[in-house]
Amino acid sequence: MRYFNLYSNILITKGANRILISDLQRNNSELQSLELYDIIEALKSHAIETLMGFYDEDSKPIVGQYLDFLVDKEYGFISTGDRDHSFPPLSLEYKDAGLVSDIFIACRDLARPRQLAPSIGNLAIKHMVIYCEQELAVADFLDLEISFSDSSVESIEIFAPCHAGINENYLQQLSEGARRIYSLVFYKCTTIQPETGDRYKFKVVFTSRHLKINACGKVDLKYFNTHLPKVLEAINHNSCLHKKIGIDINGDIRNCPAMPQRFGNIRDCSLEEALNHKAFKNYWNLTKDHIAVCKDCEFRNICTDCRAYTERTHINEAGLDNSKPLKCGYSPYTNQWEKWSENPLKQKAIRHYGLQELIKNEEA
Amino acid sequence: MILILSSNAEITTDAVIMWLNDLKKAYIRVHEDEFFEIKIINKKFFLESYRNRFFIDDISSVWYRRGGGLKFKRGQYHHEAVNQNMNEAHYWLEDYVIKKLEAKKHINKQSNSRLNKLWVLEEAQKAGLKVPRYFLAENTDDVIPGKMITKSFTENVILKSAYEHQDGMLYTAVVTQQEQGSFFPTFFQDKIEKEYEIRSFYLDGKIWSTAIMSQKDKQTETDHRKYNTAVPNRNVPYDLPLETGQKLNELFLALDINCGSADFIKGKDGQFYFLEINPLGQFLGLSAVCNYALDKEIALYL
Repeated sequence: MRYFNLYSNILITKGANRILISDLQRNNSELQSLELYDIIEALKSHAIETLMGFYDEDSKPIVGQYLDFLVDKEYGFISTGDRDHSFPPLSLEYKDAGLVSDIFIACRDLARPRQLAPSIGNLAIKHMVIYCEQELAVADFLDLEISFSDSSVESIEIFAPCHAGINENYLQQLSEGARRIYSLVFYKCTTIQPETGDRYKFKVVFTSRHLKINACGKVDLKYFNTHLPKVLEAINHNSCLHKKIGIDINGDIRNCPAMPQRFGNIRDCSLEEALNHKAFKNYWNLTKDHIAVCKDCEFRNICTDCRAYTERTHINEAGLDNSKPLKCGYSPYTNQWEKWSENPLKQKAIRHYGLQELIKNEEA
Repeated sequence: MILILSSNAEITTDAVIMWLNDLKKAYIRVHEDEFFEIKIINKKFFLESYRNRFFIDDISSVWYRRGGGLKFKRGQYHHEAVNQNMNEAHYWLEDYVIKKLEAKKHINKQSNSRLNKLWVLEEAQKAGLKVPRYFLAENTDDVIPGKMITKSFTENVILKSAYEHQDGMLYTAVVTQQEQGSFFPTFFQDKIEKEYEIRSFYLDGKIWSTAIMSQKDKQTETDHRKYNTAVPNRNVPYDLPLETGQKLNELFLALDINCGSADFIKGKDGQFYFLEINPLGQFLGLSAVCNYALDKEIALYL
């Protein structure tokens, strides 16, 4: 007898009509049919020969093709005599040191992140995103780098307004002093400059758009990410809010700057104190298995989610909003991607969040 | 207080320290450029460098990760006889400090961190592990082309300047033809027809293994480190047979090291062949692929 052994780092996520096969080692995912799902399931309890016996002569070659596909993609291997029991399952536990991994800071200038540096270090935060309202000089960036030179922060992304002084020389100087800055986005540009490729230590994007916080939260294929730690986080926690902290332009501390609840202001409250607030982590364990529609979606383990803008149709027993993300245009029941902003059922929620203008601007 | 001896900016050390912070365990990280002065304060041994100072009694565990280990400052004395005598006094104090620290709970020791690969193969056989037949030779008279491999028995497999490989890595290679002349003693070993490779991380009696399915890929067939970056080898969590694990445990005990990575081949004949142990290698790559969180395991142990 021959047996098919599925590799433990191949994750199959079953949706309403399709499955997503995620290769958690090679970081890619592909859509497949429910028919293949049934075959994979049957192969877990039956030998290949036994399984073949379940099908009529016409179907046998199709099952054979599926099996060839699985072996060819190295989703598993065939053993003879018995299953190979020396391959234990992959632990799906999410293990990550530190209480907070990511911080978002909205600010007028870079004095605010510098002022928060001791708390950021104390919390061992690894990734920082800064949204700055004022134009920045090279020295501003370099001062920021110095403030974090001895900290836990590994990566810094900065959004800042475009201005006439930003040229090759400016970026070159910045590149020489940059250690942790890996991405720069200049918004409100009047002339769009080409992307810089790998000329500098960081990626640079120029956009004419006036980026605002409420532009966040879109669910789209291009944001999907098959990456083992992210998938494990999505299986165990809320992939958007877990281990995140945000500071809005007024200094209010929130889980995400677009979420309604605030947990103090940096004027009189430390990040550590805000995190200790009993409601701060309310959404951290709300997985997509418990969110309307998402729970039937094949993309749920590689998706980003958004709890700040939802369809506002469901509240769970703990009082948490477990409605589908507003800015998701996908239906796992029809398998169609449609424009979320044009869906008639979403208009009420769009008005609630006051997103009409954002939608108009994005379509312009 | 945990004492960490490592090279500067070493990624595994950084990752373990993230966990020590998470677990609220206090530690002292000693850098490569640190030299300690041995002092006696209130009858107790006290070590002091330009960035660290501590009583030996306050150290609860020691992790020797990499680098030269604990280094000491020695005085220079003008009179040769005095110098010699003081050097000797320094030596015994230093020896005592290292012995004291190594007697505490630890992960590996600076005093025996260098592992002789030839010795390890003998000890492995004594522990009952199966080792592919091997010998050293100065010619290829007994080497069967295509059936044997050759590899370095030195500790450092990265050459500073190698001509053939850009990265200067000394890979395992199959011997394809006999050579005319003689050469420096070289290691030859039977090539095992393999089902797959296994890398086992060992820490104080516990083993975490990864199967490296490199056989399908011509590029990595002889040495899985010759990565195929387009389609990497399938790496998955693996359980060594209980008996092989027990023998590996015996080998680590015999070598008096309690942490390291062991390489095995599972042969097409179903046998498990032991290849070598690397006590200082990087292991967080496979740890991440298998979600073993070995950095956390080390932090928990210390």
